Amino acid sequence: MQAVTPQIVFYLFGLPFLPITNTVVSTWVLMAIVIILAIIIRKTKPVAGEMLVEFVNNIVSSVMPEGTNVTKFLILLGPLAVFLVIANIFSIFPGMVSPTADINTTVALSVIVFFAVHIFGIREKGFINYFKDLMTPIFIFPLEVVSQFSRTLSLSIRLFGNILSTDLIVAIIFSLIPFIVPIPLAALGVLTGVLQAYIFLVLASLYIASGIEIQEMEEERRELKQKTAKLS
Amino acid sequence: MWQLDPQTLITIITIIVSSTAIVIGAIVPAVMEGIAVQKALDGITRQPDAANDLRTTLLISMALLESTAIYVLLVVLVIIFANPLLDRFF
Repeated sequence: MQAVTPQIVFYLFGLPFLPITNTVVSTWVLMAIVIILAIIIRKTKPVAGEMLVEFVNNIVSSVMPEGTNVTKFLILLGPLAVFLVIANIFSIFPGMVSPTADINTTVALSVIVFFAVHIFGIREKGFINYFKDLMTPIFIFPLEVVSQFSRTLSLSIRLFGNILSTDLIVAIIFSLIPFIVPIPLAALGVLTGVLQAYIFLVLASLYIASGIEIQEMEEERRELKQKTAKLS
Repeated sequence: MWQLDPQTLITIITIIVSSTAIVIGAIVPAVMEGIAVQKALDGITRQPDAANDLRTTLLISMALLESTAIYVLLVVLVIIFANPLLDRFF
């Protein structure tokens, strides 16, 4: 039980209904690190920061439909990527736990993505058009609702399970052989963490892309393509 | 025969069930991921130009496949560390 659930470190203001767990404490440390890094990057403007932004931009725009302006989605997805990459590899620092090894963090992140899909979709297409696209044909609608909730659930459980399992493997091996042997497993954990952050980013932008794409335009484009194919 | 008290019996059943579950849940996704990688490598050797697209799709689908194994692992962890039967009856 203690291995799976985060441990309570202290109570906020001494109140018994405000427990602070160790994952919350490491989230605070992570926030401090990210803010300091952001201030340093803003002051010095290194080339590496530009490359990082370019990288995230490329990933998101490779998933989105062609010709979309990606910048307004980067406001959500860029910080998400930075947070996830640092949070997933956070347990290699001594005395820290990964914030994403707590199911509350990952559920919060995937609920943010769930609402962002609808908000971006409504902003892009208008309220009535968005729900009209969601409900055409009408018998798809229950399936659509089920898939919305199940993919939110699977998004959170996937991240939580991956990070928790790699952390647990390192902890178990460390309790058996504490010398040198856990290092390759910790390196594997870093690899898995970065990969899972990438997967989360790609899936989030896929869901947003499925929310903003316009069905009628797609059909028109397909018809145009068929016509040009016939003409040529 | 031995007389087992219910707590021991539940623990024994838990151990057997969780090891069986993790074995099956590890074998099936591993084999299927192997098939996916095999097909992707076939595609890359046939068309090296499409390697970038294939790699992205492969990574995403591998993570999706792997998540089923992770679900099994989570269920096993819940059974072992937070067994609902042991908490309820004892």
